Amino acid sequence: MEELIEKLKREVIEQLNLEDISPEDIEADSPLFGEGLGLDSIDALELIVLLEKNYGLKIEDPKDGKKIFHSIRTMAEYITEHKKA
Amino acid sequence: MGCISPQPTLDNKSFLEETVSVESSRMKAIGPNYKEFIPPEMVRRMGRIIKMGVAAAKTSLADAECQLPDAIITGTGLGCIEDTEKFLGNMIRNNEEFLTPTAFIQSTHNTVSAQIALLIKCHGYNFTYVHRGFSFETAILDSLMQIESGQAKSVLLGAADELTENSFQIQSRMGYWRQKPADNLKLFEHPTKGTVAGEGAAFFLLHEKKNSNTYAVLQDVEMLFRPDSPEEVISEIKLFLERNGLKESNIDLLVLGRNGDIRFDSIYDSVTETAFPGVPTCNFKHLCGEYMTASSFGVWMASRILKNQQIPDMLIIGKKPETLKHILLYNHYQGINHTLILLSQA
Repeated sequence: MEELIEKLKREVIEQLNLEDISPEDIEADSPLFGEGLGLDSIDALELIVLLEKNYGLKIEDPKDGKKIFHSIRTMAEYITEHKKA
Repeated sequence: MGCISPQPTLDNKSFLEETVSVESSRMKAIGPNYKEFIPPEMVRRMGRIIKMGVAAAKTSLADAECQLPDAIITGTGLGCIEDTEKFLGNMIRNNEEFLTPTAFIQSTHNTVSAQIALLIKCHGYNFTYVHRGFSFETAILDSLMQIESGQAKSVLLGAADELTENSFQIQSRMGYWRQKPADNLKLFEHPTKGTVAGEGAAFFLLHEKKNSNTYAVLQDVEMLFRPDSPEEVISEIKLFLERNGLKESNIDLLVLGRNGDIRFDSIYDSVTETAFPGVPTCNFKHLCGEYMTASSFGVWMASRILKNQQIPDMLIIGKKPETLKHILLYNHYQGINHTLILLSQA
């Protein structure tokens, strides 16, 4: 899990072009939206594409998005859970 | 005014005191630290043209001590070509799947003026003209009409174009650029086929009334599409000056869009020798390179000359004029879009 979290941090930084932010600056449990990284709705779309492209995971129910993209850890948990299945 | 170009032009305290020489077929704009102009959460999504445009626009507003113009009007030849390439490249590479929104959103031609409006919270008239070599001049025409009709008291007018690796290569295959690298400062010494590619952004705050910050009066603009001969251009210049109450002899300086391309420069000789014998000239494309809105750099240069009432030695060809009241800028893009811009002392 920790390995996946570190990988995800790097991917999020690259996908969202988060200049001046390094993986160490992102807390695995900090909220991605609002506070924390302060991401917005365009970033949410970018993250949906990231999950689909890099992990083959499609979010079927948009309502799940809020939970999945709460933090890097929740993203990693979703990937781990659904990749196994 | 605010100008980002391949020269150090963003600092309005100096005027071409230093010039950059590049041994290449392309010239890249010198960008500032964009984070000084744009919040980090916005700058991360912006392509180079947007960053150049926003920084030039904000510099122009600060220089004019204006917080909020009534309108924002810009011109661009190719718009946000970097983001367009990114978006189309992703479509091809990913078989039209996994398309991300950022590059698409930022790829539209009006992104520069839209981002400026968002940053300064300007809800007024916002328009972008995309007409190849007429883009900036059409933006000027609209700006003048907005002010003359009383629709706007102040207009943020600007132009921006960026050069990408792909656009450079494609236009190179079309024969636009020199095959052998050339020193831009010696561009006119060895005229040959092709010129040096360039890019940049220049913004100007037009106001219905002049004040102590005013650089020049932007009198008029004219566009000629594919004129048949130099005689037609000369005749149009005469009419253009007449409608502004001037004659050829009233022009103190000609700013010319000469670019060292043997196929296109002869018309500048014909026009100057026939209509303006003895009038000093300045070229500008050896400093900024060729692009569809390069005339905006020429307007920036002419405005500085009018305000300073001085022409840098490295620019002037001919005898220095005793007075600098009227400057005529004549430019053409690829022999297709010919434009005239008249500037006068404020």
